[in-house]
Amino acid sequence: MTERPSSAIKLFDHLRAIGTGIKYLFLPRMTVRYPEEVMKLPDGYRGMIKYHKEICISCGLCAQICPANAMKMYLEGESQTSEGKAKVKRRPGINYTRCIFCGFCVDICPTGALEHVGIHDVAFDSFEAQLFKPKDFEKGPPVVEYERPPKLVRSKMDLRRGIIYEPAD
Amino acid sequence: MMNLMDLLKWIINLVFSPWLFVPLIFPGLVTVFIVILFIIWFERKLAAKVQLRYGPLYVLKQLGGAIQLVADLLRYLFAEPIIPESADKLAFMLGPIFLFAASYIPTVAIPVSKSFYAFRSDISLLISLGLLTFGPAITLITGWASNDKFSLIGGLREGYLTMAYEIPLFISALSMAALYGTMDLIEIVESQVGWKWGLFLNPIAAITFLILALMSTSRFPFEIVEAESEIVMGPFTEYSGILYGLTMGASYVKFYVLCLLFSIMFLGGWKPVPKFLSWSPIAPGVILLLKSLAIMVLGVFMRAVYPRYRIDQALRMGWHIILPMSIGSVFLSLGLLLWGVVS
Repeated sequence: MTERPSSAIKLFDHLRAIGTGIKYLFLPRMTVRYPEEVMKLPDGYRGMIKYHKEICISCGLCAQICPANAMKMYLEGESQTSEGKAKVKRRPGINYTRCIFCGFCVDICPTGALEHVGIHDVAFDSFEAQLFKPKDFEKGPPVVEYERPPKLVRSKMDLRRGIIYEPAD
Repeated sequence: MMNLMDLLKWIINLVFSPWLFVPLIFPGLVTVFIVILFIIWFERKLAAKVQLRYGPLYVLKQLGGAIQLVADLLRYLFAEPIIPESADKLAFMLGPIFLFAASYIPTVAIPVSKSFYAFRSDISLLISLGLLTFGPAITLITGWASNDKFSLIGGLREGYLTMAYEIPLFISALSMAALYGTMDLIEIVESQVGWKWGLFLNPIAAITFLILALMSTSRFPFEIVEAESEIVMGPFTEYSGILYGLTMGASYVKFYVLCLLFSIMFLGGWKPVPKFLSWSPIAPGVILLLKSLAIMVLGVFMRAVYPRYRIDQALRMGWHIILPMSIGSVFLSLGLLLWGVVS
């Protein structure tokens, strides 16, 4: 049997709770108002992936390491050319509905044909548009268009208030 | 031409005659809608500010999203009200309409100033409180008519809570009636002279009445009937479209009526009217409205502070703490009368 605090103490606690609410009413907000303010991304941010076709050696390691099965190798090129020789190459394609942005494919690529770019805020019209076959993949990730140029902000730890945002540069 | 002017004059006289103005414009229907649109927006803004975010912002950005609720209302108006196959259709459709009406009808008994009221009765406090008690019964009916487990549980919760809050609500209101020696709301206001507001004379009754107003309109921390994380939307789970909008508005309207009664009984009603405004016929009404809006803001602020009580905790609070407190407020009123603090 636990002891209940008396009603007077409880009333004091209620008043303290309301006081805390009123205190928070006057603290500054934490929101990043996204389309107008955009976070400045740090170096090495794991955003969407850019593919350099010319240095890819078609080893397929990226597809093997991918933990979410987002990266897949596709057959590309003609199977029968005029010389009668097969010129089929395997090229990676990525499915952004599955990608978890872990960056394993970038790390394992022996020639550095894959790299992260600082783009993460893209909206797609359809489910199929998020599947990047090798032909689309080599064109690079889509470009984000804002209505007007956004203000860049940077996050910062504040001992008293937690995360705060200050204008970058 | 003269006839037209006469007609216009007649219409204006009709609209501004108290028995039409009070139920339809102030404090009745039109004011009710404006108050709902304001207070729900303000509730969301307050809760957002306490949680360090913005709340509604992008609908009319200059005023901080002030007409967000107009957009919501339009959405509710044009959404399809779906009536479940297995529901009791008549009760299901009429429930929200009756609920809204039952919440707003008590405004007819509330006077706006010393000389402006729909009708004068020596029991107008009892009339307005009594008319408010239709609401819970209709909530129970809607909960049953939806033929849905969440609705039924929500309706039963409302039934339990009604038992816990209605008796102390009446007792604490009647303790004030005993203190002033009348149940006429106009005389209640007129007998609060100078500093002798009901809040200072009988603070126990004021606290009790405020807590019970929160409990009876399912504001936090007593949002038990419509507990969204437990039983979806309580008795109103199956509703959609404008029928749902009415059920959501009804609790705010009831809270508005209770706040009007609170400011009449405890905050001196339309008094004091400042000297330089005493010529104006609308000043008392505006003062009454501002007082009750302040109480409403305090009530909706609780959403940002409190979690939800369990049903047994709320019932225990109602029966073990609030009921003795309300009986105590009766004795305090009788003591004040005996000591001659009020005559």
